[in-house]
Amino acid sequence: MAPSIDTPLFVRGLSKSYRIGHVFQRRRPALEGLDLEVLRGEILGYVGPNGSGKTTTLKLLVGLLRSDRGEGWILGEPLAARGWRYRVGYLPEHPYLYDYLTPAEYLDYAGRLFGFSAARRRARARELLALVGLERSAGLPMRRFSKGMVQRAGLAQALLNDPELLILDEPMSGLDPIGRRLVRDLIAAQRKAGKTVLFSTHILSDAETLCDRVAVLRAGRLVKVGPLSELLQLDVAHVEVLASGIAASAPGLEAADRAEQVGDRLRLEVAEGRLGGVVAAVEAAGGRVLSVQPIRQSLEDYFYREMGTPSAGGTEAWGEG
Amino acid sequence: MIRLSRLIAVAANTFRETVRERVLYNLVFFAILMTLSGLLLGQLSIRQDEKILKDIGLASMDLFGTLIAVFIGTGLVSKEIERRSLYPLLAKPLGRGEFFLGKFAGLAFTLLVNLGVMTAGLYLTLVLTGRGADPVLLAAVYPLFLGFLLVVAFAMLFSTVSSSSALAAVFTVGVVVAGRFTDVIRNMRDVAPGVPPWAVDVLYSALPNFRNFDFKDRVAYGDAVPPDVLAWVTLYGVAYVAVVLAIGLASFRSRDFQ
Repeated sequence: MAPSIDTPLFVRGLSKSYRIGHVFQRRRPALEGLDLEVLRGEILGYVGPNGSGKTTTLKLLVGLLRSDRGEGWILGEPLAARGWRYRVGYLPEHPYLYDYLTPAEYLDYAGRLFGFSAARRRARARELLALVGLERSAGLPMRRFSKGMVQRAGLAQALLNDPELLILDEPMSGLDPIGRRLVRDLIAAQRKAGKTVLFSTHILSDAETLCDRVAVLRAGRLVKVGPLSELLQLDVAHVEVLASGIAASAPGLEAADRAEQVGDRLRLEVAEGRLGGVVAAVEAAGGRVLSVQPIRQSLEDYFYREMGTPSAGGTEAWGEG
Repeated sequence: MIRLSRLIAVAANTFRETVRERVLYNLVFFAILMTLSGLLLGQLSIRQDEKILKDIGLASMDLFGTLIAVFIGTGLVSKEIERRSLYPLLAKPLGRGEFFLGKFAGLAFTLLVNLGVMTAGLYLTLVLTGRGADPVLLAAVYPLFLGFLLVVAFAMLFSTVSSSSALAAVFTVGVVVAGRFTDVIRNMRDVAPGVPPWAVDVLYSALPNFRNFDFKDRVAYGDAVPPDVLAWVTLYGVAYVAVVLAIGLASFRSRDFQ
Protein backbone atom coordinates (compact mmCIF):
# COMPACT_ATOMS: atom_id res chain seq x y z
CA MET A 1 0.00 0.00 0.00
CA ALA A 2 1.67 3.23 -1.12
CA PRO A 3 1.19 6.25 1.15
CA SER A 4 -0.44 9.49 0.03
CA ILE A 5 1.64 12.59 -0.59
CA ASP A 6 0.31 14.13 2.63
CA THR A 7 1.81 11.35 4.71
CA PRO A 8 5.57 11.91 4.96
CA LEU A 9 5.88 8.91 7.23
CA PHE A 10 3.81 5.79 6.80
CA VAL A 11 4.45 2.51 8.57
CA ARG A 12 2.57 -0.77 8.46
CA GLY A 13 3.09 -3.81 10.68
CA LEU A 14 6.62 -2.83 11.72
CA SER A 15 8.01 -5.39 14.16
CA LYS A 16 11.35 -5.90 15.84
CA SER A 17 12.65 -8.34 18.40
CA TYR A 18 16.05 -8.58 20.07
CA ARG A 19 18.02 -11.70 20.86
CA ILE A 20 18.71 -12.06 24.53
CA GLY A 21 20.84 -14.55 26.44
CA HIS A 22 24.16 -16.04 25.43
CA VAL A 23 23.94 -19.83 25.35
CA PHE A 24 20.18 -20.33 25.19
CA GLN A 25 19.17 -17.39 23.06
CA ARG A 26 15.57 -16.32 22.77
CA ARG A 27 13.92 -13.33 21.21
CA ARG A 28 12.27 -10.54 23.15
CA PRO A 29 9.79 -8.48 21.15
CA ALA A 30 10.57 -4.76 21.26
CA LEU A 31 8.00 -3.57 18.77
CA GLU A 32 4.96 -5.44 17.49
CA GLY A 33 2.96 -4.64 14.40
CA LEU A 34 3.31 -0.87 14.50
CA ASP A 35 0.94 1.02 12.19
CA LEU A 36 1.71 4.72 12.21
CA GLU A 37 1.18 7.71 9.99
CA VAL A 38 2.63 11.15 10.44
CA LEU A 39 0.78 13.81 8.52
CA ARG A 40 2.40 16.64 6.60
CA GLY A 41 3.03 19.75 8.69
CA GLU A 42 2.18 18.22 12.05
CA ILE A 43 4.18 17.58 15.18
CA LEU A 44 3.57 14.07 16.41
CA GLY A 45 4.71 13.23 19.92
CA TYR A 46 5.79 9.66 20.45
CA VAL A 47 5.38 8.92 24.13
CA GLY A 48 5.56 5.86 26.32
CA PRO A 49 7.28 4.38 29.34
CA ASN A 50 10.85 3.14 29.43
CA GLY A 51 11.41 0.15 27.17
CA SER A 52 8.14 0.66 25.35
CA GLY A 53 9.88 0.71 21.94
CA LYS A 54 10.15 4.42 21.14
CA THR A 55 13.86 4.47 20.36
CA THR A 56 13.59 1.12 18.57
CA THR A 57 10.94 2.61 16.27
CA LEU A 58 13.03 5.66 15.42
CA LYS A 59 16.13 3.53 14.79
CA LEU A 60 14.12 1.25 12.50
CA LEU A 61 12.95 4.28 10.55
CA VAL A 62 16.44 5.67 9.94
CA GLY A 63 17.96 2.26 9.20
CA LEU A 64 20.08 1.71 12.31
CA LEU A 65 18.05 -1.45 12.99
CA ARG A 66 16.63 -4.01 10.56
CA SER A 67 12.98 -4.87 11.05
CA ASP A 68 11.76 -8.46 11.43
CA ARG A 69 8.52 -7.68 9.61
CA GLY A 70 6.58 -4.79 8.22
CA GLU A 71 7.17 -2.02 5.77
CA GLY A 72 7.39 1.71 5.73
CA TRP A 73 7.76 4.74 3.51
CA ILE A 74 9.41 8.04 4.21
CA LEU A 75 8.51 10.94 1.91
CA GLY A 76 7.07 8.46 -0.56
CA GLU A 77 10.13 6.21 -0.71
CA PRO A 78 10.56 2.79 0.92
CA LEU A 79 12.60 2.76 4.13
CA ALA A 80 15.45 0.89 2.41
CA ALA A 81 15.90 3.64 -0.21
CA ARG A 82 18.55 6.31 0.20
CA GLY A 83 16.84 9.23 -1.53
CA TRP A 84 14.73 10.32 1.44
CA ARG A 85 17.85 10.69 3.57
CA TYR A 86 18.60 13.94 1.73
CA ARG A 87 15.29 15.32 3.01
CA VAL A 88 15.16 14.01 6.58
CA GLY A 89 16.93 15.13 9.76
CA TYR A 90 17.61 12.81 12.70
CA LEU A 91 18.75 13.48 16.24
CA PRO A 92 19.57 10.34 18.26
CA GLU A 93 19.00 10.10 21.99
CA HIS A 94 22.02 11.45 23.93
CA PRO A 95 23.99 12.22 20.77
CA TYR A 96 27.76 11.85 20.74
CA LEU A 97 29.32 14.13 18.18
CA TYR A 98 33.07 13.64 17.78
CA ASP A 99 34.46 15.57 20.73
CA TYR A 100 37.75 16.34 18.97
CA LEU A 101 35.83 18.47 16.46
CA THR A 102 34.36 21.92 16.86
CA PRO A 103 30.64 22.19 16.04
CA ALA A 104 31.53 24.14 12.89
CA GLU A 105 33.86 21.33 11.78
CA TYR A 106 31.23 18.71 12.54
CA LEU A 107 28.64 20.54 10.47
CA ASP A 108 31.17 20.90 7.67
CA TYR A 109 31.81 17.15 7.76
CA ALA A 110 28.09 16.36 7.78
CA GLY A 111 27.59 18.83 4.92
CA ARG A 112 30.11 16.91 2.82
CA LEU A 113 27.97 13.79 3.24
CA PHE A 114 25.09 15.70 1.65
CA GLY A 115 27.38 16.84 -1.17
CA PHE A 116 27.12 20.55 -0.24
CA SER A 117 29.64 22.97 -1.73
CA ALA A 118 32.24 24.50 0.62
CA ALA A 119 30.49 27.90 0.51
CA ARG A 120 27.12 26.36 1.35
CA ARG A 121 28.63 24.35 4.19
CA ARG A 122 30.18 27.46 5.71
CA ALA A 123 27.02 29.53 5.37
CA ARG A 124 24.78 26.78 6.73
CA ALA A 125 27.07 26.15 9.72
CA ARG A 126 27.06 29.87 10.61
CA GLU A 127 23.29 30.07 10.27
CA LEU A 128 22.56 26.94 12.32
CA LEU A 129 25.03 27.65 15.11
CA ALA A 130 23.37 31.04 15.54
CA LEU A 131 19.97 29.37 15.52
CA VAL A 132 20.86 26.97 18.34
CA GLY A 133 22.77 29.64 20.28
CA LEU A 134 26.25 28.21 19.77
CA GLU A 135 27.76 30.88 17.54
CA ARG A 136 30.16 31.97 20.28
CA SER A 137 31.33 28.37 20.78
CA ALA A 138 31.74 27.59 17.07
CA GLY A 139 35.51 27.26 17.41
CA LEU A 140 35.61 25.23 20.63
CA PRO A 141 36.21 21.46 20.54
CA MET A 142 33.04 19.71 21.65
CA ARG A 143 34.89 17.88 24.44
CA ARG A 144 34.57 21.18 26.30
CA PHE A 145 30.81 21.32 25.80
CA SER A 146 28.18 20.71 28.43
CA LYS A 147 25.55 18.05 27.77
CA GLY A 148 23.06 20.71 26.78
CA MET A 149 25.47 22.30 24.31
CA VAL A 150 26.12 18.91 22.67
CA GLN A 151 22.36 18.40 22.42
CA ARG A 152 22.01 21.76 20.69
CA ALA A 153 24.88 20.95 18.31
CA GLY A 154 23.08 17.65 17.62
CA LEU A 155 19.96 19.55 16.74
CA ALA A 156 21.97 21.78 14.40
CA GLN A 157 23.28 18.74 12.49
CA ALA A 158 19.71 17.40 12.24
CA LEU A 159 18.62 20.67 10.65
CA LEU A 160 21.62 20.92 8.31
CA ASN A 161 19.80 19.85 5.14
CA ASP A 162 16.69 21.93 5.93
CA PRO A 163 14.73 18.67 6.27
CA GLU A 164 11.09 18.19 5.35
CA LEU A 165 10.76 15.62 8.13
CA LEU A 166 12.56 15.79 11.47
CA ILE A 167 12.91 12.65 13.57
CA LEU A 168 14.04 13.54 17.08
CA ASP A 169 14.73 11.07 19.87
CA GLU A 170 14.28 12.74 23.25
CA PRO A 171 15.38 16.18 22.00
CA MET A 172 14.83 17.86 25.38
CA SER A 173 16.76 15.27 27.34
CA GLY A 174 19.52 16.72 29.48
CA LEU A 175 18.66 20.32 28.79
CA ASP A 176 18.24 23.05 31.37
CA PRO A 177 15.01 25.09 31.29
CA ILE A 178 16.51 27.67 28.91
CA GLY A 179 17.79 24.97 26.59
CA ARG A 180 14.42 23.20 26.66
CA ARG A 181 12.67 26.40 25.78
CA LEU A 182 15.07 26.97 22.89
CA VAL A 183 14.50 23.46 21.52
CA ARG A 184 10.75 23.77 21.97
CA ASP A 185 10.78 27.05 20.04
CA LEU A 186 12.90 25.48 17.31
CA ILE A 187 10.50 22.58 16.90
CA ALA A 188 7.53 24.94 16.85
CA ALA A 189 9.32 27.05 14.22
CA GLN A 190 9.72 23.95 12.06
CA ARG A 191 5.97 23.42 12.08
CA LYS A 192 5.46 27.08 11.21
CA ALA A 193 7.77 26.58 8.23
CA GLY A 194 5.57 23.73 7.04
CA LYS A 195 7.91 20.94 8.18
CA THR A 196 6.83 17.69 9.80
CA VAL A 197 8.23 16.57 13.14
CA LEU A 198 8.14 13.21 14.88
CA PHE A 199 9.70 13.29 18.31
CA SER A 200 9.83 10.92 21.21
CA THR A 201 9.77 12.29 24.68
CA HIS A 202 9.27 11.27 28.26
CA ILE A 203 8.61 14.85 29.30
CA LEU A 204 4.85 14.90 28.99
CA SER A 205 4.53 18.65 29.42
CA ASP A 206 6.69 19.14 26.32
CA ALA A 207 4.42 16.84 24.34
CA GLU A 208 1.40 18.75 25.62
CA THR A 209 2.90 22.10 24.68
CA LEU A 210 4.07 21.17 21.21
CA CYS A 211 2.18 18.30 19.67
CA ASP A 212 -0.76 18.30 17.31
CA ARG A 213 -1.17 14.60 17.89
CA VAL A 214 0.29 12.07 20.27
CA ALA A 215 1.05 8.39 19.70
CA VAL A 216 1.15 6.39 22.88
CA LEU A 217 3.26 3.25 23.00
CA ARG A 218 3.30 0.56 25.62
CA ALA A 219 5.31 -2.67 25.69
CA GLY A 220 6.03 -2.41 21.96
CA ARG A 221 2.42 -1.85 20.97
CA LEU A 222 0.69 1.31 19.90
CA VAL A 223 -2.03 2.00 22.43
CA LYS A 224 -3.53 5.17 21.06
CA VAL A 225 -2.97 7.85 18.44
CA GLY A 226 -4.89 11.04 18.23
CA PRO A 227 -5.14 14.75 18.84
CA LEU A 228 -4.49 15.77 22.41
CA SER A 229 -8.03 17.13 22.72
CA GLU A 230 -9.36 13.62 22.08
CA LEU A 231 -6.95 11.96 24.43
CA LEU A 232 -7.33 14.47 27.22
CA GLN A 233 -10.97 14.66 28.11
CA LEU A 234 -12.11 18.09 29.16
CA ASP A 235 -13.98 17.81 32.45
CA VAL A 236 -16.41 20.65 31.79
CA ALA A 237 -18.61 19.58 34.67
CA HIS A 238 -16.09 21.05 37.13
CA VAL A 239 -14.14 24.27 37.23
CA GLU A 240 -11.17 25.46 39.20
CA VAL A 241 -11.46 28.74 41.06
CA LEU A 242 -8.31 30.42 42.30
CA ALA A 243 -8.90 33.08 44.97
CA SER A 244 -6.82 35.21 47.32
CA GLY A 245 -7.48 37.00 50.60
CA ILE A 246 -9.86 34.38 51.90
CA ALA A 247 -9.75 31.25 54.08
CA ALA A 248 -11.31 27.87 53.25
CA SER A 249 -13.57 28.24 56.28
CA ALA A 250 -15.33 31.34 54.90
CA PRO A 251 -19.14 31.05 54.76
CA GLY A 252 -20.56 29.75 51.46
CA LEU A 253 -17.40 27.90 50.42
CA GLU A 254 -18.73 24.57 51.67
CA ALA A 255 -20.43 24.42 48.26
CA ALA A 256 -17.01 23.67 46.72
CA ASP A 257 -16.16 19.99 46.26
CA ARG A 258 -12.59 20.59 47.28
CA ALA A 259 -10.66 23.45 48.85
CA GLU A 260 -6.89 23.54 49.02
CA GLN A 261 -4.59 26.26 50.32
CA VAL A 262 -1.72 26.87 47.86
CA GLY A 263 0.59 29.45 49.43
CA ASP A 264 -1.47 32.61 49.96
CA ARG A 265 -4.07 31.41 47.48
CA LEU A 266 -7.08 29.20 47.83
CA ARG A 267 -7.77 26.63 45.11
CA LEU A 268 -11.39 25.47 44.87
CA GLU A 269 -12.90 22.72 42.73
CA VAL A 270 -16.52 23.55 42.08
CA ALA A 271 -19.35 21.88 40.17
CA GLU A 272 -20.38 24.10 37.27
CA GLY A 273 -23.90 24.62 38.65
CA ARG A 274 -22.61 26.01 41.96
CA LEU A 275 -19.97 28.33 40.44
CA GLY A 276 -22.05 31.52 40.78
CA GLY A 277 -22.71 30.92 44.47
CA VAL A 278 -19.07 30.19 45.27
CA VAL A 279 -17.81 33.29 43.41
CA ALA A 280 -20.37 35.40 45.27
CA ALA A 281 -19.25 33.84 48.59
CA VAL A 282 -15.59 34.69 47.87
CA GLU A 283 -16.46 38.31 47.11
CA ALA A 284 -18.81 38.60 50.09
CA ALA A 285 -16.01 37.45 52.42
CA GLY A 286 -13.68 40.15 51.03
CA GLY A 287 -11.68 37.79 48.84
CA ARG A 288 -10.66 38.20 45.22
CA VAL A 289 -11.27 35.74 42.39
CA LEU A 290 -8.01 35.41 40.45
CA SER A 291 -9.06 32.89 37.81
CA VAL A 292 -11.82 30.50 36.82
CA GLN A 293 -11.03 27.69 34.38
CA PRO A 294 -12.37 24.29 33.42
CA ILE A 295 -10.55 21.37 34.98
CA ARG A 296 -8.58 19.70 32.24
CA GLN A 297 -6.94 16.33 32.42
CA SER A 298 -3.19 16.47 31.75
CA LEU A 299 -1.31 14.03 29.55
CA GLU A 300 0.25 12.74 32.73
CA ASP A 301 -3.21 12.06 34.16
CA TYR A 302 -4.02 10.19 30.97
CA PHE A 303 -0.89 8.05 31.29
CA TYR A 304 -1.59 7.16 34.87
CA ARG A 305 -5.22 6.40 34.14
CA GLU A 306 -4.53 4.27 31.06
CA MET A 307 -1.37 2.51 32.10
CA GLY A 308 -1.15 2.73 35.85
CA THR A 309 1.85 3.86 37.85
CA PRO A 310 5.01 1.77 37.94
CA SER A 311 4.15 0.84 41.51
CA ALA A 312 0.74 -0.36 40.38
CA GLY A 313 2.25 -3.49 38.97
CA GLY A 314 3.63 -2.43 35.60
CA THR A 315 7.06 -3.77 34.79
CA GLU A 316 7.94 -0.76 32.71
CA ALA A 317 9.58 2.24 34.23
CA TRP A 318 8.48 5.75 33.42
CA GLY A 319 10.96 7.98 31.79
CA GLU A 320 13.33 7.72 28.91
CA GLY A 321 13.40 4.83 26.51
CA MET B 1 26.40 2.55 -4.78
CA ILE B 2 29.54 3.86 -3.15
CA ARG B 3 30.24 7.53 -3.84
CA LEU B 4 33.89 8.49 -3.65
CA SER B 5 33.28 12.01 -2.28
CA ARG B 6 31.53 10.64 0.82
CA LEU B 7 34.16 7.94 1.29
CA ILE B 8 36.87 10.63 1.13
CA ALA B 9 34.94 12.79 3.64
CA VAL B 10 34.92 9.89 6.13
CA ALA B 11 38.59 9.12 5.42
CA ALA B 12 39.59 12.77 5.90
CA ASN B 13 37.77 12.92 9.21
CA THR B 14 39.38 9.66 10.35
CA PHE B 15 42.81 11.07 9.52
CA ARG B 16 41.96 14.27 11.41
CA GLU B 17 40.86 12.19 14.40
CA THR B 18 44.15 10.26 14.52
CA VAL B 19 46.12 13.50 14.30
CA ARG B 20 44.07 15.20 17.03
CA GLU B 21 44.17 12.10 19.23
CA ARG B 22 47.96 12.42 19.04
CA VAL B 23 48.51 9.07 17.32
CA LEU B 24 51.40 10.55 15.36
CA TYR B 25 53.25 11.34 18.60
CA ASN B 26 55.07 8.05 18.05
CA LEU B 27 57.11 10.01 15.50
CA VAL B 28 58.71 11.94 18.35
CA PHE B 29 59.91 8.67 19.90
CA PHE B 30 61.17 7.58 16.51
CA ALA B 31 63.07 10.84 16.06
CA ILE B 32 64.68 10.49 19.50
CA LEU B 33 65.57 6.85 18.76
CA MET B 34 67.18 7.75 15.45
CA THR B 35 69.15 10.64 16.95
CA LEU B 36 70.46 8.52 19.82
CA SER B 37 71.29 5.63 17.48
CA GLY B 38 73.17 7.94 15.13
CA LEU B 39 75.21 9.40 18.01
CA LEU B 40 75.95 6.13 19.78
CA LEU B 41 76.79 4.08 16.70
CA GLY B 42 79.37 6.59 15.53
CA GLN B 43 81.95 4.61 17.48
CA LEU B 44 81.46 1.45 15.43
CA SER B 45 82.96 0.56 12.06
CA ILE B 46 81.22 2.05 9.01
CA ARG B 47 79.72 -1.24 7.69
CA GLN B 48 78.51 -2.45 11.09
CA ASP B 49 76.82 0.75 12.22
CA GLU B 50 75.04 1.27 8.92
CA LYS B 51 73.39 -2.15 9.17
CA ILE B 52 72.45 -1.62 12.83
CA LEU B 53 71.01 1.81 12.04
CA LYS B 54 68.91 0.36 9.22
CA ASP B 55 67.84 -2.53 11.45
CA ILE B 56 66.73 -0.22 14.24
CA GLY B 57 64.96 2.14 11.83
CA LEU B 58 63.04 -0.55 9.96
CA ALA B 59 62.18 -2.51 13.11
CA SER B 60 60.83 0.67 14.73
CA MET B 61 58.73 1.42 11.66
CA ASP B 62 57.35 -2.11 11.79
CA LEU B 63 56.63 -1.96 15.51
CA PHE B 64 55.01 1.51 15.59
CA GLY B 65 53.01 0.84 12.41
CA THR B 66 51.71 -2.51 13.67
CA LEU B 67 50.76 -1.04 17.05
CA ILE B 68 48.83 1.79 15.38
CA ALA B 69 47.17 -0.61 12.95
CA VAL B 70 46.03 -2.93 15.76
CA PHE B 71 44.94 -0.48 18.40
CA ILE B 72 43.53 2.30 16.26
CA GLY B 73 42.17 -0.22 13.75
CA THR B 74 40.12 -2.11 16.32
CA GLY B 75 38.63 1.14 17.60
CA LEU B 76 37.76 2.48 14.16
CA VAL B 77 34.33 0.88 14.04
CA SER B 78 33.77 -0.45 17.56
CA LYS B 79 34.37 2.94 19.20
CA GLU B 80 31.86 4.48 16.81
CA ILE B 81 29.31 1.84 17.82
CA GLU B 82 30.04 2.06 21.55
CA ARG B 83 29.84 5.87 21.57
CA ARG B 84 26.96 5.89 19.06
CA SER B 85 28.74 8.58 17.05
CA LEU B 86 27.84 6.84 13.79
CA TYR B 87 24.08 7.11 14.43
CA PRO B 88 23.55 10.64 13.09
CA LEU B 89 25.92 9.93 10.20
CA LEU B 90 24.23 6.73 9.00
CA ALA B 91 20.87 8.50 9.01
CA LYS B 92 22.33 10.82 6.37
CA PRO B 93 22.94 9.79 2.75
CA LEU B 94 26.02 7.88 3.87
CA GLY B 95 26.04 4.18 3.02
CA ARG B 96 27.47 1.69 5.46
CA GLY B 97 29.97 0.66 2.76
CA GLU B 98 31.16 4.26 2.36
CA PHE B 99 31.53 4.61 6.12
CA PHE B 100 33.41 1.32 6.57
CA LEU B 101 35.76 1.78 3.63
CA GLY B 102 36.23 5.46 4.46
CA LYS B 103 37.40 4.55 7.95
CA PHE B 104 39.83 2.03 6.43
CA ALA B 105 41.15 4.57 3.93
CA GLY B 106 41.57 7.21 6.67
CA LEU B 107 43.70 4.97 8.85
CA ALA B 108 45.62 3.74 5.80
CA PHE B 109 46.50 7.36 5.03
CA THR B 110 47.59 7.94 8.64
CA LEU B 111 49.85 4.89 8.42
CA LEU B 112 51.23 6.08 5.10
CA VAL B 113 52.07 9.52 6.52
CA ASN B 114 53.55 7.92 9.62
CA LEU B 115 55.66 5.53 7.57
CA GLY B 116 56.67 8.29 5.14
CA VAL B 117 57.92 10.56 7.93
CA MET B 118 59.79 7.70 9.62
CA THR B 119 61.39 6.71 6.31
CA ALA B 120 62.48 10.30 5.77
CA GLY B 121 63.85 10.31 9.34
CA LEU B 122 65.86 7.18 8.73
CA TYR B 123 67.30 8.55 5.50
CA LEU B 124 68.12 11.84 7.21
CA THR B 125 69.95 10.00 9.99
CA LEU B 126 71.92 7.95 7.46
CA VAL B 127 72.88 11.02 5.45
CA LEU B 128 73.76 13.18 8.48
CA THR B 129 75.99 10.45 9.87
CA GLY B 130 77.78 10.19 6.53
CA ARG B 131 76.41 6.86 5.39
CA GLY B 132 74.50 7.80 2.23
CA ALA B 133 70.84 7.29 1.27
CA ASP B 134 70.29 3.73 0.14
CA PRO B 135 67.22 3.46 -2.18
CA VAL B 136 67.07 -0.31 -1.55
CA LEU B 137 65.53 0.51 1.85
CA LEU B 138 62.28 1.43 0.11
CA ALA B 139 61.90 -2.19 -1.02
CA ALA B 140 61.45 -3.09 2.66
CA VAL B 141 59.30 -0.09 3.58
CA TYR B 142 56.67 -0.65 0.88
CA PRO B 143 55.82 -4.27 1.92
CA LEU B 144 55.64 -3.08 5.54
CA PHE B 145 52.83 -0.74 4.48
CA LEU B 146 50.97 -3.61 2.77
CA GLY B 147 51.29 -5.62 5.97
CA PHE B 148 49.85 -2.72 8.01
CA LEU B 149 46.85 -2.55 5.66
CA LEU B 150 46.21 -6.23 6.24
CA VAL B 151 46.42 -5.74 10.02
CA VAL B 152 43.90 -2.86 9.79
CA ALA B 153 41.56 -5.01 7.68
CA PHE B 154 41.66 -7.79 10.30
CA ALA B 155 41.22 -5.28 13.12
CA MET B 156 38.13 -3.84 11.42
CA LEU B 157 36.73 -7.31 10.72
CA PHE B 158 37.09 -8.35 14.35
CA SER B 159 35.66 -5.07 15.61
CA THR B 160 32.48 -5.63 13.60
CA VAL B 161 31.94 -9.22 14.76
CA SER B 162 32.97 -8.88 18.42
CA SER B 163 31.14 -6.99 21.11
CA SER B 164 34.07 -4.91 22.36
CA SER B 165 37.18 -3.25 21.00
CA ALA B 166 39.29 -5.01 23.65
CA LEU B 167 38.20 -8.42 22.37
CA ALA B 168 38.81 -7.29 18.78
CA ALA B 169 42.33 -6.19 19.77
CA VAL B 170 43.03 -9.60 21.34
CA PHE B 171 41.89 -11.41 18.17
CA THR B 172 43.89 -9.09 15.93
CA VAL B 173 47.06 -9.46 17.99
CA GLY B 174 46.50 -13.23 17.84
CA VAL B 175 46.34 -13.19 14.04
CA VAL B 176 49.36 -10.89 13.76
CA VAL B 177 51.49 -13.02 16.09
CA ALA B 178 50.37 -16.29 14.47
CA GLY B 179 50.91 -14.78 11.02
CA ARG B 180 54.49 -13.86 11.91
CA PHE B 181 55.24 -17.40 13.04
CA THR B 182 53.59 -19.42 10.29
CA ASP B 183 56.81 -21.45 9.93
CA VAL B 184 56.23 -22.76 13.42
CA ILE B 185 52.73 -23.85 12.38
CA ARG B 186 54.11 -25.60 9.30
CA ASN B 187 56.61 -27.45 11.47
CA MET B 188 53.94 -28.39 13.97
CA ARG B 189 53.87 -31.93 12.57
CA ASP B 190 57.38 -32.46 13.87
CA VAL B 191 56.87 -30.64 17.15
CA ALA B 192 53.39 -32.02 17.95
CA PRO B 193 52.83 -35.25 15.98
CA GLY B 194 49.40 -35.73 17.62
CA VAL B 195 47.89 -32.82 15.67
CA PRO B 196 46.09 -34.07 12.50
CA PRO B 197 47.98 -33.03 9.34
CA TRP B 198 44.83 -31.61 7.74
CA ALA B 199 44.34 -29.27 10.73
CA VAL B 200 47.91 -28.00 10.32
CA ASP B 201 47.33 -27.48 6.58
CA VAL B 202 44.05 -25.59 7.15
CA LEU B 203 45.58 -23.37 9.83
CA TYR B 204 48.67 -22.68 7.74
CA SER B 205 46.62 -21.79 4.64
CA ALA B 206 43.99 -19.70 6.44
CA LEU B 207 46.37 -17.49 8.37
CA PRO B 208 47.98 -14.57 6.58
CA ASN B 209 51.71 -14.99 6.30
CA PHE B 210 53.08 -11.71 7.57
CA ARG B 211 56.64 -12.90 6.88
CA ASN B 212 55.83 -12.31 3.20
CA PHE B 213 55.96 -8.60 3.96
CA ASP B 214 59.24 -8.73 5.84
CA PHE B 215 62.35 -7.79 3.83
CA LYS B 216 64.09 -5.93 6.64
CA ASP B 217 67.07 -8.25 7.03
CA ARG B 218 67.59 -8.49 3.30
CA VAL B 219 67.79 -4.76 2.65
CA ALA B 220 69.79 -4.09 5.81
CA TYR B 221 72.56 -6.15 4.19
CA GLY B 222 72.13 -4.08 1.02
CA ASP B 223 70.51 -6.86 -1.04
CA ALA B 224 67.96 -5.67 -3.60
CA VAL B 225 64.46 -7.15 -3.77
CA PRO B 226 63.56 -8.25 -7.33
CA PRO B 227 60.54 -6.44 -8.83
CA ASP B 228 58.69 -9.72 -9.50
CA VAL B 229 58.91 -10.56 -5.78
CA LEU B 230 57.48 -7.14 -4.91
CA ALA B 231 54.73 -7.62 -7.50
CA TRP B 232 53.82 -10.99 -5.98
CA VAL B 233 53.78 -9.50 -2.46
CA THR B 234 51.54 -6.68 -3.73
CA LEU B 235 49.12 -9.18 -5.27
CA TYR B 236 49.11 -11.28 -2.11
CA GLY B 237 48.56 -8.27 0.15
CA VAL B 238 45.87 -6.61 -1.98
CA ALA B 239 43.93 -9.85 -2.48
CA TYR B 240 44.07 -10.70 1.23
CA VAL B 241 43.03 -7.16 2.26
CA ALA B 242 40.14 -7.23 -0.24
CA VAL B 243 38.80 -10.56 1.06
CA VAL B 244 39.09 -9.60 4.75
CA LEU B 245 37.53 -6.18 4.13
CA ALA B 246 34.68 -7.77 2.14
CA ILE B 247 33.88 -10.13 5.04
CA GLY B 248 34.09 -7.24 7.53
CA LEU B 249 31.86 -5.07 5.36
CA ALA B 250 29.26 -7.83 4.98
CA SER B 251 29.20 -8.18 8.76
CA PHE B 252 28.97 -4.40 9.26
CA ARG B 253 26.14 -4.10 6.73
CA SER B 254 24.02 -6.73 8.45
CA ARG B 255 24.60 -5.39 11.94
CA ASP B 256 21.91 -3.88 14.15
CA PHE B 257 22.91 -0.81 16.16
CA GLN B 258 20.92 -1.27 19.34
